[in-house]
Amino acid sequence: MIDSERHPYVEYIAREARRPVVIDPAAARERIMAAVRAEPLPRRRSVFWEHIVAPRSFTLSPVASSLIAAGLIGIGVLAGALASNGSNRDGRPPAGQGDPVALGLPVSDTVVRFVFVAPNAGKVSLVGDFNDWDETRAPMIRADKDGRWSVTLPLSIGRHQYAYVVDGTWHADPSAPMTGDGFGHMNSVKVVNKGSTL
Amino acid sequence: MSDDAADVQRVLAGDVDAYAALVDRYYDRCARFAIRMLGNRDDAEDALQATFLRAYKALNRYQERDRFSAWLYRILVNQCRSIAARRAHRDKVFVREEALLLNAPDRAVVWTGEDEEFVQRVLSELDPLLREAFLLKYIEELSYEEMSALTGVGVSALKMRVKRACDRLRERWERIKND
Repeated sequence: MIDSERHPYVEYIAREARRPVVIDPAAARERIMAAVRAEPLPRRRSVFWEHIVAPRSFTLSPVASSLIAAGLIGIGVLAGALASNGSNRDGRPPAGQGDPVALGLPVSDTVVRFVFVAPNAGKVSLVGDFNDWDETRAPMIRADKDGRWSVTLPLSIGRHQYAYVVDGTWHADPSAPMTGDGFGHMNSVKVVNKGSTL
Repeated sequence: MSDDAADVQRVLAGDVDAYAALVDRYYDRCARFAIRMLGNRDDAEDALQATFLRAYKALNRYQERDRFSAWLYRILVNQCRSIAARRAHRDKVFVREEALLLNAPDRAVVWTGEDEEFVQRVLSELDPLLREAFLLKYIEELSYEEMSALTGVGVSALKMRVKRACDRLRERWERIKND
């Protein structure tokens, strides 16, 4: 009687499963590095600083987040006015208002994947209240030859408005709820709950 | 200092692009585990993206006495577990998007080998905990001690899971042979 772990069928399955997989690594790595570059630089921390910034388990409502964001922006403006020059220490562009990552606000661990079908587009990007509607900050990558464009990024818990910019023209997401933007156009809405995904 | 440790130091010193070297070094291996564990490319890509992003954000908590690969794998295993656990909820959310993408061809064409789809189906029939243990032992070829450090599960329990996984596979073969 052969031990199951040495059975030829088991060895065959293991051998086949050890084969490398193809997952379009160049595009996938590009997406990872785009998301990484959107994060603040990780820096070595002192024990004291580690204690101060250690993650706490609490959840902020979007309203509370906005109030804290407003407070932090005020602090940022004050600090900027007191600083000898206004450039960031790491040379990155200044953080935009309402960007929880840039402001150091608690963000969820929820990574949201946005997919948009635009087979004839040359350039697609994701804009929303999470990146100051800046079309340079979340460029989408053509996921395949069939016109699927995608980008994956972490979002804070709360309600977000967003749109896609296709070759300079803004489009709402047809697969998501919409709301008026106050200027006669529609934005899409994504609600991020704890542990939710798109 | 290992290549990994040197790259981590460069990132912590402010060189974000040094992280690309770590991604390049470990992406393929992590991708193989994620696909084998989760059974499809979209879930695997999400797990990989979340893993590398989490690792980057936590890089200042990485201890050099640990192997970077083991530390990264621990994050990957946890990400795969949580994505698998949320799959039922996510599938509901995706219904609308799938309807939108009905004209897109099946992305499963990424499978490379003739036996690829078959092997993936066989693996997906295993209970997730048995599949995880089997993959770590026979595909990633880790020792039981390394597996225990990654998963937080005791060595004897892991040995039992691997044995049960092999038993299930063997039973499958017996059924096929007898049909």
